[in-house]
Amino acid sequence: MKFAQISFVFRRVVRSLRELLWTHLLTSGTMAMTLFIFGGFLLIQENLQGLLRGWGSQIQIFAYLENGLSPADLQSLAAEVRAYPEVESVRFVSKAEAWESFKKTLGTQSGVLEGLPPDILPSSLEIALERAHRQRASVAGIAQRLRGIKGVSEVEYPDEWIEKLGLLVLGVQWAKWILGGFLFLATMLIVGSTVRLAILARKDEIEIMQLVGAPAGLIKAPFVVEGMVQGIVGASLALGVLWLLYLLVRYHLPASLAILPSGDRLQFLDAAAVSLLVFLGWLLGAGGSLFSLRRFLKTW
Amino acid sequence: MIQLFRVSKIYPPNYPALTDIHLHIEKGEFVFVNGPSGAGKTTLLRLLFREEEATEGQIIVNGRNITRLNGARVARLRQAIGLVFQEFKLLPSMSALDNVALAAEVVGMSRTESRRRAFHLLRELGLKDKHDARPPTLSGGEQQRVAIARALVNDPILVLADEPTGNLDAEMAEETMRLFLKVHEKGTTIIIATHDSGLLRRFQHRVVLLQRGRLMADSKTAENKMAP
Repeated sequence: MKFAQISFVFRRVVRSLRELLWTHLLTSGTMAMTLFIFGGFLLIQENLQGLLRGWGSQIQIFAYLENGLSPADLQSLAAEVRAYPEVESVRFVSKAEAWESFKKTLGTQSGVLEGLPPDILPSSLEIALERAHRQRASVAGIAQRLRGIKGVSEVEYPDEWIEKLGLLVLGVQWAKWILGGFLFLATMLIVGSTVRLAILARKDEIEIMQLVGAPAGLIKAPFVVEGMVQGIVGASLALGVLWLLYLLVRYHLPASLAILPSGDRLQFLDAAAVSLLVFLGWLLGAGGSLFSLRRFLKTW
Repeated sequence: MIQLFRVSKIYPPNYPALTDIHLHIEKGEFVFVNGPSGAGKTTLLRLLFREEEATEGQIIVNGRNITRLNGARVARLRQAIGLVFQEFKLLPSMSALDNVALAAEVVGMSRTESRRRAFHLLRELGLKDKHDARPPTLSGGEQQRVAIARALVNDPILVLADEPTGNLDAEMAEETMRLFLKVHEKGTTIIIATHDSGLLRRFQHRVVLLQRGRLMADSKTAENKMAP
């Protein structure tokens, strides 16, 4: 394309954006609405996954130890477990710590413990696992290996809880693809119709440009660039509204409605999700224009 | 310049718009394609600027076979042809000057040069004071002059005009025809499709007569297949 033709495309875009401002705003608004729904879904999904990650970090294996182990035995035992590649961290809980913790858990009812010796509870290792190994099969395998270690009397882990959490994570991941796919298709259809209407209003222009010998690329280019601008504006609008909504929920949601554990805050979309939304806007605008142009551009 | 060999055009499902046309037009000729409505005049012109594809036969324009062309070659063909229509086909949101300059800009001419040429042509066609006017504010004759200026802005080798006086009163039609003659004097080949027999009488040039899609008479070859 010659420089004069590039400048021609640029001028047509500026002219069209100025003259058909409301048509372009309507198209951008439609894109913004659909991208808002898509972005809202991403936001919910991302926070839900964060929530699940938080819950997942609470999955621990408790290895109760035999009485009478020397400090050197304890140290080597902890080192052995720490060396497992699936293990993220190991914390030693002494008998005294276990007693204090149990008393604290009972709270006002801790009187029931009166008369019991404070070393009645066994010392233990609290083992946290790497994220990739927080599934049922992995946890069971590690527990089995721990049972074989000399000095370990008993091993416990929240079996049922891990299974439910695993199903929930899987459910959210499937929902992301299925619902996300439906939303994307719906967005394509809505945006396609809106762009088609906008192009319909300019079909005479397309016809005349073809009659005077404009190459197909030169006819399409302004529409595609306009589509990209509409898409990026639409995505920015959607992100702006999502941001406002996010601030509203984060700072004004009553504590009773909060679903996240205390201390955790709702997170906004990360850079990758923001980029995805802007890219989708760009793609929808450019793709919608190209797709709709096919109907009005005579081909040979 | 233009050669048609046994050209036929059949519209679906089975409507023969043109049948077995043989025609040869020399460079620099001025030709009227005449005939009643439905005779095939518009179809013939549409085949020449490749808006339609011939069902049968071969069409040569300026030494090139245009019977089968892809999109890029169609665009290049049209850059060498000036087109004028009965309904003007101007963009109402653009000024007369921009409508004319558009045709030059799409072939890669700079904006300054396109506008300079457009301005020069509009002045030559008597629209010096109307270059900023938008088509809806112009009379039919003025709009047709803008369309003619657009057809001429790329110095075409051929001008095809389909009923260019169809929407004009007698005086404007006469004036428009004089403009075509002026262009023809510079050596441009002109083909005008018209059903107006009065024009043929006033402007004595070669006439090709079509009837029901068939070439019935050609004043150049004195061929006459019409029934007495």
